Amino acid sequence: MATLKDVKLSVSIAMVHIRSKLRQTIVATVGVAFGIAVFIFMVSFIMGTNNYMMDITFEHSPHLRLYNEPTIAETTILDRKYPDWKNEVHNVRPRDVQLNLKDARQAIQEISQLQEVDAVAGSVKSQVFYRYGSNAINGLVNGIDFDNENRLFNLEEKLVEGSFREMNTIPNSLVMGEGLANRLNLSVGDRLNLTTEAGGTFSIVVIGLFKTGLTDIDRQQSYASLATVQRFLGVPASYITDIQAKLHDMDLAPQMLNKWKKRFGYQGSDWKEDHSTLLEGEALRSMIVYGVAITILLVAGFGIFNILTMMIYEKMKDIAILKAMGFSDTDVRYVFLFQALLIGAFGSVFGLIFGFLIAYAISTMPFESDVMVTLDHLPVSFETVYYIAGFTFGLITTFLAGYFPSRKAAKVDPISILRG
Amino acid sequence: MNILEVNNVDKYFLEPSRFHVLKDITFAIKKGKLVTITGKSGSGKSTLLYLLSTMDTEFSGSIRVDGEELKGKSNRWLSNFRNEHIGFVFQFHYLLPEFTSLHNVMLPALKRGTHDKESIEEKAYGLLKMLDIEDQAVKRSSLLSGGQQQRVAIARSLINDPLLIMCDEPTGNLDSKNTQIAFGIFREIIDKGEQTMIMVTHDEDLADRSDEIIHLEDGRVV
Repeated sequence: MATLKDVKLSVSIAMVHIRSKLRQTIVATVGVAFGIAVFIFMVSFIMGTNNYMMDITFEHSPHLRLYNEPTIAETTILDRKYPDWKNEVHNVRPRDVQLNLKDARQAIQEISQLQEVDAVAGSVKSQVFYRYGSNAINGLVNGIDFDNENRLFNLEEKLVEGSFREMNTIPNSLVMGEGLANRLNLSVGDRLNLTTEAGGTFSIVVIGLFKTGLTDIDRQQSYASLATVQRFLGVPASYITDIQAKLHDMDLAPQMLNKWKKRFGYQGSDWKEDHSTLLEGEALRSMIVYGVAITILLVAGFGIFNILTMMIYEKMKDIAILKAMGFSDTDVRYVFLFQALLIGAFGSVFGLIFGFLIAYAISTMPFESDVMVTLDHLPVSFETVYYIAGFTFGLITTFLAGYFPSRKAAKVDPISILRG
Repeated sequence: MNILEVNNVDKYFLEPSRFHVLKDITFAIKKGKLVTITGKSGSGKSTLLYLLSTMDTEFSGSIRVDGEELKGKSNRWLSNFRNEHIGFVFQFHYLLPEFTSLHNVMLPALKRGTHDKESIEEKAYGLLKMLDIEDQAVKRSSLLSGGQQQRVAIARSLINDPLLIMCDEPTGNLDSKNTQIAFGIFREIIDKGEQTMIMVTHDEDLADRSDEIIHLEDGRVV
C-alpha cells in the first residue's frame, strides 16, 4: 500500500496542477457547487411545502379514530336455525345498528389515563341540512366537548370571528366554517334552521366562524356542543359516535389502535390508513426531488470527468516522467483522484452555503393564500439531513468522475510517450 | 564488478506486426564506466535502453542490475527500484513545466522519502550549483532555455545517488557548445567511480570519448 508520505507527495503534485489550471478548476468547482445548491434549494422548498401540507392536515386529523360502522351480518337467521341446510338469502340488508360507541365515556376515561396518549375527545357527528332562506346545504355538524377537542385540534387558533366558549352557555348555538357561512350568506349572530337525518328541524344561532385552511372542512362543517347535537338527534347524553385521540408518538398509532379495538370492541382507523394518498404523494415527491438533484449532480460530474480527462491528455508527458522517476501507478492515480476530490469537497461546501442562502432568501418571501391561511411566508425546511445528503452526493459523484480518468492516468505506458 | 549483466535477451514488437527487435543480446557492464550504445535508427538501441531501465518488462532472457534480476518483478517493486537506483536523462529534457527547477530536482528524492525535505532541498541546490544553474533554481522550469533545462534534468537524475544513469540521446537537442558542456559533466560524474552511465547516442564523437561502446546492428550486438 501507498504510505502516507506517498499520498502527501501526490497531493502536493496535485496542488501544483490545480494552481496552474486554476480557471478550469474553478469552473469545475462552480459546476458542482451549482448542482449541490440547486439540490439543497429544491429539497428545502419542496420538503418545506410538503411538511406544511402534512402539518395542517395532521393538525386537523387525529392519530387514531374509533367509531362504529353498519356491517352486514355474515350469517343469516336461517343459517342459525338450520345449520345443515344450504340456505340462500338474497338482498341481505345491513342490520339496524346504533352508530354510537358502547360505554364510550368509560372508554374515553380509560384512554385518557394512558401514558402514550396526548389528548382524547369524544364527539357526535351527524349529517344535517343547513337551511337559510331558500338555501339548503348538506353538511356535517360536530358535537364536541370543547376543552378536549381544543387540545386535540387547536380549535381556538382557527377562530376567525366570535367565540367557541359561548357554545356551552348559549343553547342551540354553533360555530360554522367560514366557507359554509359564505355559501349560506350568513354572518355571526344570524339564525338558521338545521334539519337532521331523522327529520327534526331546529332553529340555531351562529356564534362564531372558523377557518382551518382545509376546504372540505371549512365548506361543510360546523361545531356545536355535545349536548346540543345529542338533543337534535334525540339521544341520551351517553351517546357518542367518535373517539379521536392524539399520541405523543404518532408511530405507535397502528399498534395502539389494535389494542383498543380488542379492548373496547369498536372499529377504528389510524392516520396511516386515513392519509394513505397524502403519504404516498409525499414519497413520490421526494423521489422526484432526489431524481432531479441526482441528474444535476451527474451533469456536474461529467464536467469534472471531462476536465480531468483533458488534463490527463495534456499531462501525458508529466505522467511518463513521474513514472520514470519511480512513481508507482497508485501515486499517479492519487494525483488525479485528489484533484477530483478537492473539486468535489470545495464544490459541495460552496453548494451547501449557496443552497442555504437561496433557501433562506425564499423563506423570507411573503406569500399569502386564501387556502393556506396560516401561511405568511413560503414554507422552507432546513433539516440537517438534506445538507449531509447533498455533501455525500457531491463527494460520491466527483469521486466517480475522478476515478475513471485517474485510473486511465495510472495505466499510461511511459515508454510509448518518452520515445516520442 | 559487474553492475549490469544482460543474458540472451530477446525482444519482439507485436504491433503493428510481430517484429524481432533485439536478438540474443548478451553483455556486461562494469561499475564506474561510461558506456554508449550506438547504432542506426531502428537498430533497437532505445528499446534496449528502456529494457535496461526497468520500464519495459516484455522480454525474454535475463537482465540483472546490481545482482537483482529484473525479470518477473511487480510494477511496484520496479517503481521503487527505479526510484532508488536509476536516474534518467531524456532527449527532450522532460521536466515538469509547472514546477520550479529546484522542485523538479527534488521530486525523486521526495518520492524516495528517506531524507527530510530540508536536506533534500540542500542537496538539490548543491547539484544545481555543481551544474552552474543555481541562479535558475526558483524559476519555473518552463521558462528555462533548452540547455538549462537539460542541466536541471541531469541534476534530477543524480539526486538519489543512483547506481545507473540512463541517457536517451541526452545531447540530441542541444547545440555543440551545450553538448560539450553536458558531456563534460557526465565525464566528471563517472570519473568519480561510484556511478555507471549508459548513454544511447548516434554522435560518434561522443561515443569515441566513452569507456565502452556497444554497437547494435539489426538488433544484434556487433
